[in-house]
Amino acid sequence: MVDVSQHELVPDHTVLDSDELEDVLAEYDIKKTDLPKIKRTDPALPDEAEVGDVIKVERDSRTTDRAVVYRLVIE
Amino acid sequence: MSGHAPKSIGSLSFGLMDPEEYRDMSATKVITADTYDDDGFPIDMGLMDPRLGVIDPGLECKTCGKHSGSCNGHFGHIELAAPVIHVGFSKLIRRLLRGTCRECSRLTLDENERQEFRDRLDRTRELGDDLNDVTKAAIRQARKKDYCPHCGAVQYDINHEKPTTYYEVKQVLSSEYPQRIAAAMEPDEEDDEPVSPHDLADETGIDAGRIQEILSGEFRPREEDRQAIEKALDVDLTEEDMDKLMPSDIRDWFEDIPDEDLEVLGIDPEKSRPEWMILTVLPVPPVTARPSITLDNGQRSEDDLTHKLVDIIRINQRFMENREAGAPQLIIEDLWELLQYHVTTFMDNEISGTPPARHRSGRPLKTLSQRLKGKEGRFRGSLSGKRVNFSARTVISPDPTLSLNEVGVPDRVAKEMTQTMNVTERNLEEARRYVRNGPEGHPGANYVRRPDNRRLKVTEKNCEELAEKVKPGWEVSRHLVDGDIVIFNRQPSLHRMSIMAHEVVVMPYKTFRLNTVVCPPYNADFDGDEMNMHALQNEEARAEARVLMRVQEQMLSPRFGENIIGAIQDHISATYLLTHTNPTFNETQALDLLRATSVDELPEPDGHEDDGTEYWTGRSIFSELLPDGLDLEFTSSADDTVVIEDGQHVEGTIDEDAVGAFGGEIVDTIAKQYDRTRARIFINEVGTLAIRTIMHFGFSIGIDDESIPPEAQEQVDEAIENAYARVEELIETYERGELESLPGRTVDETLEMKIMQTLGKARDSAGDIAEDHFDDDNPAVIMADSGARGSMLNLTQMAGAVGQQAVRGERINRGYENRTLSHYRQNDLSADAHGFVEHSYREGLEPKEFFFHAMGGREGLVDTAVRTSKSGYLQRRLINALSELETQYDGTVRDTSDTIVQFEFGEDGTSPVEVSSSMDEDAVDVEDITERILDEEFADETEKQQFLGTEKRPTNLSEHADDWWLAEGDD
Ligand SMILES: [Mg+2]
Ligand SMILES: [Zn+2]
Ligand SMILES: [Zn+2]
Repeated sequence: MVDVSQHELVPDHTVLDSDELEDVLAEYDIKKTDLPKIKRTDPALPDEAEVGDVIKVERDSRTTDRAVVYRLVIE
Repeated sequence: MSGHAPKSIGSLSFGLMDPEEYRDMSATKVITADTYDDDGFPIDMGLMDPRLGVIDPGLECKTCGKHSGSCNGHFGHIELAAPVIHVGFSKLIRRLLRGTCRECSRLTLDENERQEFRDRLDRTRELGDDLNDVTKAAIRQARKKDYCPHCGAVQYDINHEKPTTYYEVKQVLSSEYPQRIAAAMEPDEEDDEPVSPHDLADETGIDAGRIQEILSGEFRPREEDRQAIEKALDVDLTEEDMDKLMPSDIRDWFEDIPDEDLEVLGIDPEKSRPEWMILTVLPVPPVTARPSITLDNGQRSEDDLTHKLVDIIRINQRFMENREAGAPQLIIEDLWELLQYHVTTFMDNEISGTPPARHRSGRPLKTLSQRLKGKEGRFRGSLSGKRVNFSARTVISPDPTLSLNEVGVPDRVAKEMTQTMNVTERNLEEARRYVRNGPEGHPGANYVRRPDNRRLKVTEKNCEELAEKVKPGWEVSRHLVDGDIVIFNRQPSLHRMSIMAHEVVVMPYKTFRLNTVVCPPYNADFDGDEMNMHALQNEEARAEARVLMRVQEQMLSPRFGENIIGAIQDHISATYLLTHTNPTFNETQALDLLRATSVDELPEPDGHEDDGTEYWTGRSIFSELLPDGLDLEFTSSADDTVVIEDGQHVEGTIDEDAVGAFGGEIVDTIAKQYDRTRARIFINEVGTLAIRTIMHFGFSIGIDDESIPPEAQEQVDEAIENAYARVEELIETYERGELESLPGRTVDETLEMKIMQTLGKARDSAGDIAEDHFDDDNPAVIMADSGARGSMLNLTQMAGAVGQQAVRGERINRGYENRTLSHYRQNDLSADAHGFVEHSYREGLEPKEFFFHAMGGREGLVDTAVRTSKSGYLQRRLINALSELETQYDGTVRDTSDTIVQFEFGEDGTSPVEVSSSMDEDAVDVEDITERILDEEFADETEKQQFLGTEKRPTNLSEHADDWWLAEGDD
């Protein structure tokens, strides 16, 4: 099986730990469910990601160098 | 005001309405279908009962005592003789019938399943997803059950016949059961013994005599016996039977569904009991919602809803009479269905499968749902969009003397649109002057408002008198005058530059006038286009329009981040003429070219003629418009390098790539490196210089400009003949079966491709030959070269050959059997038989060529027509989907429920308009980084400002401040 997460065009997906998650939720003043979603079956997700986890996606950006996005893992 | 304190809406909740609530809010029960008596008075408890509200002025409402206009009307009600189904809920009714037990009405899911769906509902609610997906899944699960898990009753499938009929599909004993049993008792194969009735009796345990009776059809086997026989003989003795569920049955069924079961299905039983979907009471809308009109002849004409209600009441009465008279069940059922039909069409008269209820004239009635649905419906027609005051619409025409920020407004429009003037000590005289001019004189006034809020109309008669009365504290509605800001719009408003603010210039005649350089953002031309103007009505709106919406502020398009306003068409031809060969001009000529610009002094001359007269070159005249300090180097469309050093145009041709709309390099750079005001001045002056230039040179095109000398024509003919010969050769090779197919293509396809290729080359070489014979000063060549209008292809088609006509990307193949026209033999593969036009437009087309050309042209027309309607709908859906997304102050993009869509606007937080689009420049926002570092350096904003000092930007809010603005900057 091809592990797409190793492909150079697939941005880094990492699971946030609870402290980081709290910071993110506080920064944007939101509930976890207000985040954009990502399917558990998404091949870019790390293996340890579970439903309810929040994933940090870091992309390269032409304009800002690095663009960070958070996503909630759903079924 | 009438004493209504403003209130804000805390929340809205949607649910079904309890029939008791209908009765409670009803002003009266309606029992008679008649409306007015012989004297024209509304009948009590009729459809026009005065308790339902008033429409005639002067009458008093019997319910609230108010007069027409202030009484909103009151609902009444009709007690239905029998329950009927509410069409709007037919799908939900079907779902509940399928998911609940026919005996005990409980949801046919066991506790585990219920818990699962309850959890899924909670989760979906939290995620803000569609609850329907979960409830649908729950019903699907419940429907699978053959037996109720609570009472064990057998469950039947529910059949829904649209719109409002439901059947239970039961398996019952077939009427042919004796024959089926007999057939099953026959042996399967030749040598097998048939099953004797005795064997059957033994196997099933049924008495042998009973078996005989069953076989003769004298006795219908009971359920258990039937199953035993079916098992013994491996036969199906049943047939489907449709058992109609009457609305009353369904209502009884639903009444027994327990509250907790409804919660699993996402229904709040407090707000919506399912039995309320079966109507027993029908609310009667107030008369204010269905006013009757009195025609000229004194006859009353009733609203469609009233007609429908009359039908309902009539049938309702007939139903009751028939039932009391003990009419046969068949008649009762017919009447019931009729009542259902009328109630259904009262709510929606456009249901598929149901004939719409019609007016006597044959026109379908407009009932409740027709009032709401569609473009002209209540939502899209009356709430989201409605007719507005202070707006004007008329034809547009060009006026190159206007600034691009301005709009010429006809005086008769200016006299109709007004601006409110608050009279103070300081503008008292001015205000009086407006009023004195009256409503007919311009600039006059139409209304004044006294401090006691009395509004007085200014008339020709009272204006002198009224002018003296005007005091500070009054308001004067004065006419539009030069310099007022208005909003200008052209439909379809596809992007934000379709609505821009302009400054008014009042003009005679009847059209709106605009500078031709604003045609690209509006996508306007002057072949009869009309545009809308809106006069702004408060200071806040005017300030916003001036600062944010003025044309110059919209110069850069957010679509591609470059200017969308700039020189077009003749402007570009003109700058090309001025700079391509860099011609010279004497003093008079040079001054004439620049006379309409703000340049009033010529630079040092570029040289002297032999006789000593000074001359100036086109490039140095153009340079007069450039801001000082501008340095640029780029390639023009005419394919030379343009060099600008310190605001001096040194080299190259100024054409579309330099000053054009859609990313003209110089315009774009000035707008970004200087500011929008400078860019606006530049574009205006390029426009005026260009028009003077093109008038100086003269620029026209005639049929002889596309003529080529006879020897060139011979060459073209030869090129086409050669191509014909090669096509012929290809066809022969093909017919001999020797044509080799290209990879992935059939031989036929290969032949087509090769022919197309050959003919394409023929047209191109015809074009090249023609092109070689055109001079560089040929106007069509200038236009194509500079990018002003047209291309070399157009020129090729005019002078060389029009070339292959295509329908759906292929040579023309349709028409008659195996040929395109009856002028050709069948299966003729030659070029001319499939739409190759060998003539040029100048020569003129042969009839057959003309026909093929029309075929190709038709496809183009159809394509655009289809594309615009498709893309219009796509646009509407996209806008509806995105309309509630908003960039918040923290930079995130969220929808109305605060769900994050983007963590940073566009994932980089930058506006395409503010980012430099040229790739060689850094995409990184240096200023932002400096800002961040400075923020860290200094404790607070004041300290930072002390360090930095503030740079005052000149404010420029009007065309009328240009002199001052230019003095302020030292350009
Ligand atoms: Mg037009
Ligand atoms: Zn009333
Ligand atoms: Zn049951």
